Amino acid sequence: MLEIKNLHVAVGGKEILKGLSLSIRAGEVHAIMGPNGSGKSTLSYVLAGRAGYDITQGSILYNGENLAALSPEVRAAKGVFLAMQYPVEIPGVTTMTFLKTALNSQRRARGESDIDAVGVLKLVRAKAKTLNVSEEMLKRALNVGFSGGEKKRLEILQMAIFEPKLAILDETDSGLDIDALKLVAEGVNTLRDPARAMLVITHYQRLLDYIVPDRIHVLANGRIVAEGGKELALELEAKGYEHIVKEPA
Amino acid sequence: MAALVLGLPEARRNEAAAVFRARGVPHRRIEEWKYSDLKSALGEAGVGAVVAQWLVGNLPCGVEVFDLAQNNPPAEIPDWVRENFATATHNAMSSASLALSSGGVAFRVPKGAQITDLLKVDFTGPGHVRGLLVLEDGASLTLVEGVGIADFRNVGFEIVLGEGASLDHVRISPDGGEAVLVEEAAVHVAARAIYRAHFAGFGSKLSRMELEIALEGEGAQAHLSGVSVLDGKRHSDVTTHVIHRVGNTNSTQLFKHVAGGGSRAVYQGKVTVAKGANGSDSNQSAKALLLGDGAEADLKPELEIFADDVKCAHGAAVGDLDAESLFYLRARGIPETEARGLLLHAFLEDAVAEISNIDQRELVRTELLTALRAMA
Repeated sequence: MLEIKNLHVAVGGKEILKGLSLSIRAGEVHAIMGPNGSGKSTLSYVLAGRAGYDITQGSILYNGENLAALSPEVRAAKGVFLAMQYPVEIPGVTTMTFLKTALNSQRRARGESDIDAVGVLKLVRAKAKTLNVSEEMLKRALNVGFSGGEKKRLEILQMAIFEPKLAILDETDSGLDIDALKLVAEGVNTLRDPARAMLVITHYQRLLDYIVPDRIHVLANGRIVAEGGKELALELEAKGYEHIVKEPA
Repeated sequence: MAALVLGLPEARRNEAAAVFRARGVPHRRIEEWKYSDLKSALGEAGVGAVVAQWLVGNLPCGVEVFDLAQNNPPAEIPDWVRENFATATHNAMSSASLALSSGGVAFRVPKGAQITDLLKVDFTGPGHVRGLLVLEDGASLTLVEGVGIADFRNVGFEIVLGEGASLDHVRISPDGGEAVLVEEAAVHVAARAIYRAHFAGFGSKLSRMELEIALEGEGAQAHLSGVSVLDGKRHSDVTTHVIHRVGNTNSTQLFKHVAGGGSRAVYQGKVTVAKGANGSDSNQSAKALLLGDGAEADLKPELEIFADDVKCAHGAAVGDLDAESLFYLRARGIPETEARGLLLHAFLEDAVAEISNIDQRELVRTELLTALRAMA
């Protein structure tokens, strides 16, 4: 589903990713771990299409298509979803209005018909319940006054509503206490699907206790320096990043 | 000299004429008119001495109306007009309308009357015209002021709120093209009375709404809000002066502007807290988004404090749409144009939400959406 080859990305003229390669098939959950400044967030932004992240070399193929040529909204309509580390607050747009606009924008782009307000409300309510997202939150302005946990839950709620093919979770565990982490992880786990690929980006092994990945990649200095199964997370936890980063990959 | 406005003593008219003669047509070298050069906008035509028109929609039951020009045959002038009309002013354009106009309209809402229907008043045609609105003690009303397009019009409006009275003043100024439209409102707010105003403006060659609000009794409040969406060469100026004459008075101001093309948005807001007006509370906020390289926003909040123990806050900010918010919306599938529209609408929304009347609020929202769509 996702095929990244020798990817070099510069931000403001500075090279952050330096030849990253990665391949994820449908149904798989991969984790990317790495110390601060290794390029984790750069990878997530470049996959979602944020401006200012310039691909200087290499390629990203998404279902055989050149992802870099697509605008962020087209990527979203084609099933790419990024759960952001810092979801933005947008005063003046209610969460419900945002969800409805986004869902129908994606549907329209795929040539599907709009879902009416009542239909969207039903859909959102059903999914919101399991993620403990209250009616009151849905009525509030998007992310305004939400706690860290509420923001992350809303990101996962969006993932449940939009049903993406490729979901990227950027440090979804940051700022969460253990209960919130479990809730979010459960939400993610229910979305595991043979047709869906997930890329879980995290600094800590903790999240991977709850979302067990099929494969782990260690990112350091803009490159994958180690790869392995879920046991690699435990090794990192025990020995730290330095141990792995120093060894030749 | 034009015919007399009924009830305006000759001496008062001469005084107004003298003020206007001394001050002349305001231009950019006068500080308060720095961003709105009326003299150059009017050019050779000047202010003229034509009498502009007014139109009243269905008059709500309980509201009394009086034509300030119906002096032939002379009608008896009601006391409420005599007492409240044409109080002294140093304002050049307000003096001009007093000196040059023989037309205008006055309204009265009697003591304690709660008027639920809207009072709709349109000022139309070119020239000068006067308005007077008196809400007696405990009365309440929603005034919807319409702004007709004309080459040049100057409205002088006086609003008097008795103790505990409550007025919602909504003024929607449509895209006026090449029109030059100015208005001066002088508002007197007695103890515990509340004046709420919302100004939605789409600009013209020169558009200026100038307000002088005096909070004259304890517990008096003024809450002003406004939005403008400007494109092309449009100009829109809201200039306010809120005077806290006594203590325990409260005023808030929230103005939002979106300026595209080569347009200019102006907000000048002065708050004066008079000596002894302790415990006054005022808050001013003005923000503008500039969408065009040639667009300009001049935001000038100003405080003048002569009292102790007052809470005054003011702020102004000019910027562009937040790139991070835009990316967030697009990453969720919302096309760029629509995402920009949503963010612009959101930017204006807190000021629009200040409009109490639901129908008027929806009307302003619709007008804003149309204007924003035309700019996208």
